[in-house]
Formats: sequence, C-alpha cells, structure tokens
Amino acid sequence: MRRAVAPLLAVTVALVLADSAVVTLALPDILQELDASVPQVAWVLICFNLVLGLVSVPTAMSLLRVSPRVPSAIGIAVFAGASAWCAVAGSIDVLIVARCVQALGGALALVGCLELMVAEWGERRGVAAWVTAGVVGTATGPVAGGLLTQAISWEAIFVVQVPFAVLAVPAALAVRAAPAQVPDRHRPEARPNLTLALLSAALTAALFLLVLLLVEGWRRSPATAALTVSVVPVAALAARPLARLLRASPQVEVAVGCFLVAGGLAGLAIPPSAYLAWTIAPQALVGLGLGLTVDRLTAQAMDMRLPRARHAGWTIAARHVGVVVGLAILTPVFTADLRDAQVPAQEAITALVIDAALQPQDKVDLAGALGEELSEQQGRVPDLHRAFTSLDLDPDDRLVADELERDLDSQLERAATHAFRDSFLIGSGLALAALATALLPRRRRTT
Amino acid sequence: MSAWARTAGLPAAALALVGGVLAVQLANGGGSFEPMRTADPCVERTVTAQADGIEGLTESLVLLGVDGAACRLDTSREAFVLELGQGGERTDAEIDALREGLRDAVRRMDDEGSLPPASDLVDEALDTAELNGFLEAAIRALPDSVVDAALKTDDVLLRAIDELDLRELLGDLDSQDELNAQLEVAITQAVKDSLAARLRDLI
Repeated sequence: MRRAVAPLLAVTVALVLADSAVVTLALPDILQELDASVPQVAWVLICFNLVLGLVSVPTAMSLLRVSPRVPSAIGIAVFAGASAWCAVAGSIDVLIVARCVQALGGALALVGCLELMVAEWGERRGVAAWVTAGVVGTATGPVAGGLLTQAISWEAIFVVQVPFAVLAVPAALAVRAAPAQVPDRHRPEARPNLTLALLSAALTAALFLLVLLLVEGWRRSPATAALTVSVVPVAALAARPLARLLRASPQVEVAVGCFLVAGGLAGLAIPPSAYLAWTIAPQALVGLGLGLTVDRLTAQAMDMRLPRARHAGWTIAARHVGVVVGLAILTPVFTADLRDAQVPAQEAITALVIDAALQPQDKVDLAGALGEELSEQQGRVPDLHRAFTSLDLDPDDRLVADELERDLDSQLERAATHAFRDSFLIGSGLALAALATALLPRRRRTT
Repeated sequence: MSAWARTAGLPAAALALVGGVLAVQLANGGGSFEPMRTADPCVERTVTAQADGIEGLTESLVLLGVDGAACRLDTSREAFVLELGQGGERTDAEIDALREGLRDAVRRMDDEGSLPPASDLVDEALDTAELNGFLEAAIRALPDSVVDAALKTDDVLLRAIDELDLRELLGDLDSQDELNAQLEVAITQAVKDSLAARLRDLI
C-alpha cells in the first residue's frame, strides 16, 4: 500500500488537469443529450478552468497554515463526489454547477498533492513527478475523453475518475510526514507564468479547435478524433529525449517549444484537404512544443521558490486562466466564422445541384430535402446523407447522386476548414506572443 | 558538443521542421482549401439539359435565364436561386429580371441554333393538351414543314414567356405538375398568338 501512495497522488494530479479538456470531444453528445445550446455547452469547459484558475492561489495560501494531509483528502473526495455528480447530471445547469464543484475540489487536491508528493519522494523528485503528471494529464485528456465517449458515453468520462480519486483519499491520509511549512519568502515569477498563460491559450486552440474541426467540421467519430489527436501526447513524450540529444538550455527549449506550437497551429490552419493525415505533422509540432515548454515553464516558475504550494498555485492559475482567455478569444471568432461560412457553403452546394447531371424533377426534390436538412441543423455542419436517401432514383442517376453527395460533403468540409483558419492563426499568434515573453531580456537586479 | 551547437542545434531543427511542414502543406494546396467560388453570371456558360423534349428545352431556358436574371440583379446565380427558394412575395425587379433573362436565353439559343423546330414542340404539346379530337387530328395531319413554316420556335417561346405569370409560377416551384400545367397553358396560348400573327402578316 505504501508504494502506491505517491503514484495514486500523481494519478490524481493527472486526472484533475486532464479534466481541463477531457470533455472537449464529448461536447457534441452533451449538447444533444442535455438539450443545451452551444454557449451553454462551452461553459462545461470554461467553468472548470475558470474556477481552477481563480481559486488555486487562495487555496494554496490557505494550505500554508495547516497540514496538507486532511485538506488534500477532502479536496480529492470533493473532486470524486463532483465527478460522480457530473455523471448523473440531468441538465446542463446541474452539469455546470457540478463542474465548478469539481474544480474547487481539484484545486485543493492539486496543491495538496504537491506537498504530499514532496513528503513522499523528496523535493526534487516530488516536484518533477507533480509537473510531469500535469503535462501527461493535459496532453492525454482529450484523447481519453474521446475514446470513452465513443466506447461508452460522455458520462463514462466522469465515472472512471471516481475509483481512482476514491483510492487517492486514503493515500493522502497515509502520508506520514508533511513538509515543514515555510513563511512567504519569494514573489511569484512573472515571466514563466505569463509565458505559460499565453501558451495554454494557444494550446487550447490546438486541442479544443482541432477536435471540434474533426468531429463537427469533418464529421469524424469521437474515437477517430481521439486517436488522431493522440499524436500530441505521443510527440510531447518524444520532446524530452530530443532536447537531451541536442543539449539545449532550458530557455532555448522554452523559446523553441513556443515556436513549434506556433508553427504547428499555422500548419493546422492550412490543411490541403480533409484527410486526417494532413493534421499529423502539425500536431506533432504542437506536441513537441508542449513537451518542451510546459514542464520547463512550470519548473522555472516554482524553482527554489517558497512557499512551494503558493508558487504551484500560480502556475495552475496561469495555465487555466490562459485556457479561459484562449476560449474567450477563440470561441466568438470561430462561431462567427462558422456562421459566415454558411453562405459560401450554401452557394457552392446550390451551384453543384443546379449543374448536376440529374433530371430536373430530381434536382427540385433534392433541393427541397437539402433545404430541410440545412434548416433542421442550423448552427451545425449538416449531415446531407438523409437528403440523398430520400430520393427515388434509377441506378444510373443513383451513381450521379452518390458523386454529387461526395462533392457536397467536400464543400462542407472546405467551408468548415476555412471557418477554423483564423482561429488557428490567432492561436499561432498567441504562441508567438508566448515566444516574445520568453525572449524578452531579463531585467538586471540592482543592489 | 560545442556551445554554439548547443545554442543553435534545437532552434535550427525547429526551423527546419516548421518550414518543412508549412512548405509541404502549401505545396499541396493548403492555402486554397475553401468552398468553390460562384461563377460570374454575366459570363456565358454552357448548359446541358438532362431532360428531353419540352422539359429539356425548359431546363436549358431556365438554366440560362437564371444566369441572365442574376446578372441583371448584380448577384450570383446561386444567391438568386437561394433567394427564390426562400418563398414569399417576389419583387417586381426580380420578376422583370427573370423574364428578361428567359428572353435573353431564347435569343441566345436561337443564335446558337439549339432551339428545336416548332413542329417538335407542337407534337409534344398535343400529347398533353386536352384539345377537341377533330382539331388535334387536323393539326397532326399537317406536315412538319408546314408547321415549321407557320411557326417560329423563338417567336412561340418569347410569346410564352410574356404569357407566363412568373409570380405564380415561382410560388409552385416544388410541384412539377403545377409547373407543367402553367407552361402548357402559356405555350398553347403562345402557339395560338403566333399563328394569329402569322396569318395577319399573310393577309
């Protein structure tokens, strides 16, 4: 049991930070099942990050005055309970409230687990494991969420977290000695936290927008989307060996990481087609950038700074406020662009139907059926297949109709991809802003 | 590894990776994966009717006529068709533009020699028209050369277009039967008017 204590705490850290983006691929299912609007469903993602970003520093401050064992156990238990509540939420409002409670428990669990992991593994290993668990959680969250949504349901995302968290409660209470509390010694390190915030906003673009593009724009299943975005965590894992091979300094690693994220997002903005393969190389760049930056920046922000929990709180705040800022900037941009994309998409579809080699009456029937599909699925990329299945055609005309359907789907994919372009480029700009903060010359200390 | 290599190695690798990925994406058309742009309706386009007979002729006229109307209204063919598909009351400008577009289409097809002889239209019109049996038999007995001499297709079509109540016709776009019935009435009337005019000219 003793050996399992620190790993269970690390898993808890990964779970809490994975929750930041774990529901991204489940949002379309949640939207449908809980009869929610698009802005409401976006709040399932935003509220968790906002609450975590806002309460992590005050939570860390409150932990300075007490032993972290009991508060950590309480935080993990609240996180587990709220996860179960999320799974049984019958309405979008309840789900949003449950997500807020989940973030409150998560904040307490995160900063508490840091102290407990240091107590178990020592300063260096404990902090490193806490940072790594966070990076792994952040990178794998969307993948795990997508696979669970496809295999079982969106509720499963929350259900599977409960047993891990429940096991972590006694693990937190089993930690023998908590590290000595130290007075408030160091000011928060502004630069790495600012870089972290900007980079988190950019990474939001990579993960959130990409899964939306794959599921909503290109109409791929959540599982396919999850497998596709798994390139990011795999590349993130490859980043560290690459950096070791080239022996770059931490500052260079951070700057290069920001540049790779910016380049990857620019690549995602200009795919030559809707083939998933075109997203692989840009995602690999994003993943390499993620692997080079987030742990380095977190370590820089916490390096030898005391009290440790408070500085950890600042890094959590920077990351999650960054996610919220990213969502706040990007959501209105891509929703407006998706709305604007409807007219050119409809006109392209109209042109193809008018020019199709079908009998006039079939074209009129098809136009009517397509019009119904477009009005029924207002605000989302429509599925045109039903319009084609409703047609009564002879075999020759059916071949023509099948080709037309493929052409129309291609136009929808083009419109959706084009609508996401500006948002990916803004994400790239955010990564370049992060690069600028990393490259700013350090202010000399005067004595 | 030298200090320079340590400083420049990772940035150089990153530059190469990012440059390579973006270059491959752009070289394969990455910058231009966007919806098809609509064509300028004022530029003549070639249309191919899928139907035969009067229906095929109507199809060609409508395809060309919609282009002409969109050109007059300074919009795209697709935007105009989508607008018509919305239903509701049509403006006088839209009706006038559509009528002129259809007239332009007749003239263009006449210039290209792609209009069928009037005798083709008459035969098919007789198949569906509810005429007195004696009259129908008498018309059918006329040789095609006589019919073609008496009736010019472009004249019949232009008169039919003038006869058409486009406002009512646009209200029945979903129903092919309603559409055919209206076209039939307009063409029959146009044939009568054209014959009457021809007779007047002869007298």
